[in-house]
Amino acid sequence: MTDITILPALSSAVSEVLERMFFLEALGEAVEPAPEAETVTIQIAFEGDPAGSFQMRVARKAADAIAADFLGEDPETLTCQQRTDVTLELGNMICGSVLSRMESSASFRLGSPRAVEGEEAMRSQPGDTRYTVETGSGTLTVSIRMEERTCPSTPRFAS
Amino acid sequence: MAYRVLITDDSPAMRAFVRRVIELSGFELSACFEAGDGAEALAVLKSEWVDAILTDINMPGVDGEELLRRLAADEMLRGIPAIVISTDATANRIARLLALGARGYVTKPFHPETLRAELERTLGVPCD
Repeated sequence: MTDITILPALSSAVSEVLERMFFLEALGEAVEPAPEAETVTIQIAFEGDPAGSFQMRVARKAADAIAADFLGEDPETLTCQQRTDVTLELGNMICGSVLSRMESSASFRLGSPRAVEGEEAMRSQPGDTRYTVETGSGTLTVSIRMEERTCPSTPRFAS
Repeated sequence: MAYRVLITDDSPAMRAFVRRVIELSGFELSACFEAGDGAEALAVLKSEWVDAILTDINMPGVDGEELLRRLAADEMLRGIPAIVISTDATANRIARLLALGARGYVTKPFHPETLRAELERTLGVPCD
């Protein structure tokens, strides 16, 4: 399910982060690849109003190209650790950028991004808002799930 | 004039990126130190003088907020300008960090020129 109020924030955040920090122009919305495609997946839990979780799945080839651009290195010389670090940072920036757009007057706290594999990486739940973009070297899919507010008058989270 | 800066971020990739962006922007560095969290930053500052500190907020161990508190509490270190680099662009957070003593705030994602401009503003570098 896609929340039309979150989707614009998600798509803007992806485009802006890729352009400003990775010097990459997003080539437009794309079809999300099958779950079994060769990808790198990361997840971030966040606290705020509302709390929720963020997931990013990026084609391995795209992750390699993005890491090389970010670090100014040759893709052939990158270490696995460098690729993972950059992918985690990419997810961190997109998630933070989305939440800043949605919660501009409140505060949120991001958990540490972590790489996930197997079934956990493929899990999609009702309530996720998803967006897939073509990077030029593979697709990047982001999804975000907000927990439902239990009380509309709850004071905003301040960290 | 060349400057000495300390980059504090738990992501080695982000530290490398910030350093690269500063160098590519033409901002002259005579030394660039790195730390993985606030505790490491304070350890570096025991032996090295720097002109500016660039710090993330969310880090394991001593985070950016606590680093700002400890800098403010230290007579020798409170004069070093600290610039926060964070994904968090919420008004509350920015106000809180500035109140804790941050002299500048750069939101990720940022244009390279933005980081250079904030460094120059904070250090009082005259415009070209």
